[in-house]
Amino acid sequence: MSLLNVKDLKVHFPIRGGFFRSVVDQVRAVDGVSFELEPGETYGLVGESGCGKTTTGRAIIGLNKVTGGEVLFNGENLATMNAHERKKHMRDIQMIFQDPYSSLNGRKNVLNIIAEPLRNFERLSPKEELSRVQNMIERVGLNPESIYKYPHQFSGGQRQRIGIARALMLNPKLIIADEPVSALDVSVQAQVLNFMQEIQKDFGLTYLFISHDLGVIKHICDRIGIMYKGRFVEEGTAEDVYMDPQHLYTKRLISAIPEMDPAKKFEKMEMRKEINAAYRTEYDSYFDKDGRMFDLKPISPTHSVAIQQGGM
Amino acid sequence: MVTIDDKKLIADEKVNNPSFAKTIWREIKHDKMALISLVLLLALLITAYSSPLFIDQEQLQRVNFLETWEAPSSEHLLGTDDGGRDVFGQLLIGTRNSFTIGLSVTLIAGLFGLTVGLISGFFGGWVDNVIMRIIDFLMVLPNLMFIIVFVVIVPNYSIFSFVLIMSAFAWFGKARLIRSKGLAERELDYINASKTLGTPNWKIMFFEMFPNLSSLVIVNMTLSLAGNIGLETGLTFLGFGLPASTPSLGTLIAFATNPDIVQNKSWVWLPAALLILVMMLCINYIGQAVKRASDARQRLA
Repeated sequence: MSLLNVKDLKVHFPIRGGFFRSVVDQVRAVDGVSFELEPGETYGLVGESGCGKTTTGRAIIGLNKVTGGEVLFNGENLATMNAHERKKHMRDIQMIFQDPYSSLNGRKNVLNIIAEPLRNFERLSPKEELSRVQNMIERVGLNPESIYKYPHQFSGGQRQRIGIARALMLNPKLIIADEPVSALDVSVQAQVLNFMQEIQKDFGLTYLFISHDLGVIKHICDRIGIMYKGRFVEEGTAEDVYMDPQHLYTKRLISAIPEMDPAKKFEKMEMRKEINAAYRTEYDSYFDKDGRMFDLKPISPTHSVAIQQGGM
Repeated sequence: MVTIDDKKLIADEKVNNPSFAKTIWREIKHDKMALISLVLLLALLITAYSSPLFIDQEQLQRVNFLETWEAPSSEHLLGTDDGGRDVFGQLLIGTRNSFTIGLSVTLIAGLFGLTVGLISGFFGGWVDNVIMRIIDFLMVLPNLMFIIVFVVIVPNYSIFSFVLIMSAFAWFGKARLIRSKGLAERELDYINASKTLGTPNWKIMFFEMFPNLSSLVIVNMTLSLAGNIGLETGLTFLGFGLPASTPSLGTLIAFATNPDIVQNKSWVWLPAALLILVMMLCINYIGQAVKRASDARQRLA
């Protein structure tokens, strides 16, 4: 059984206007997204800014209200649960936040930050708590002497490790990583990513990895879902998507990855031109008359694309 | 596992991360005006609050018609009033009463405003809307008139009920201030993180959000303390504050409604008026220093 099964998830935000602040229209931030996560895998959600990938993650963990659809975690629907029932599942789903500067409370020291989930879910004596925090701090590669320091005394990468330590404290099953490295500089990005892969093996974690960085996604993810305007464009294994992109939008996205080899530079430029031309001429066949994506159609056991029924 | 000397570590970090109280103290030390104000205010308050040790309150309030309107002398340092009561003693007891009232009004109103503001700012949405509309309504009411009406209709009111009545009208501004900062704070990820970690809402409000707003609260409370002492004195001056049997700075100043006393018997009202002026200025200077301490860009130290 899959660990997380998202079925036709919708998150709409009402636009209010007029004299009585009545609902005029909806922003369809997430509009019918479905995917599954197997235990132990890393699933990447990619897309440009504003495509709804972060909203999807936040809706799964409960920070945004779900308008429609199901979020099945171990077969139980989180979307229709009330806050009290939800709390039982809270400890199995944790989140790593994008901005390591605002996601740690500057008024609390590291011990209090990392021990917060423990204090909510487990009754431990201060001694046990301290030793668990120290073990975790060591595990994420920070000096155990730093537990009484405050967040502003750490660098961005170290802060992100503190954020990861906090998320790991309850031994969760699923971690939603919302652009965990995009606020870090590139040398630290690799460190944090490798570290995340390491702990994935050790703790048996499943990642839902949200990012706009195609390089990062390729490095870390087993399967990828590409989002655009709140819907899935293409879904498949990393190889499917990177080597054999089917949808016009995916092709554009992949072709935008900078080419390292100078010899292939012109080849790439030609390819971009081709895709751009295709984008102009074939646009209508990939989007329906409202400019909305079609539903995903499987083209191989692992690969599905949002194309019209009966081919292009 | 590494063994660590916890106490030493905690001590080290205390040096690196001075608490807000320490920052305030450093700021005051670097601002001569604030330092003088603090010393002066503390001296005044210590004298006023220790006055029951050397002043017999009952004797102070005993009316003695043989000694009315006596000018300052060695027996009565600041003379006597219309009942032959010692003005100097009344001044001390009055300062104590006025300051106690001002402080408790500030604390009660601060606590209430803080709670309402935090709830409003943390939840936002329709909760915020309802609370803010109620506060909007309360703010347009003429506060002073309402306090006066309350004082008139409440039978045999005491210092305690007077404090409650004043506090009931002093918390709106604070609630607004906290709410506006809270609304900005709730969008930050550390609040979201606490939510996903399963921390209950009230805990997030008071233990996550509040510490980040505390400097604002302290600054606002310090500055409004002076105002509240002034308000108490003003009401008593108008005759709607404390009963005449309870000495306060206001009851002494209230003598100045009579032109004869203003001109010829200034020892009755002038010391109290000066004391209020000095006290308010002191609190204000200290408040300014606290305000600067809360903002790293404005600090002098």
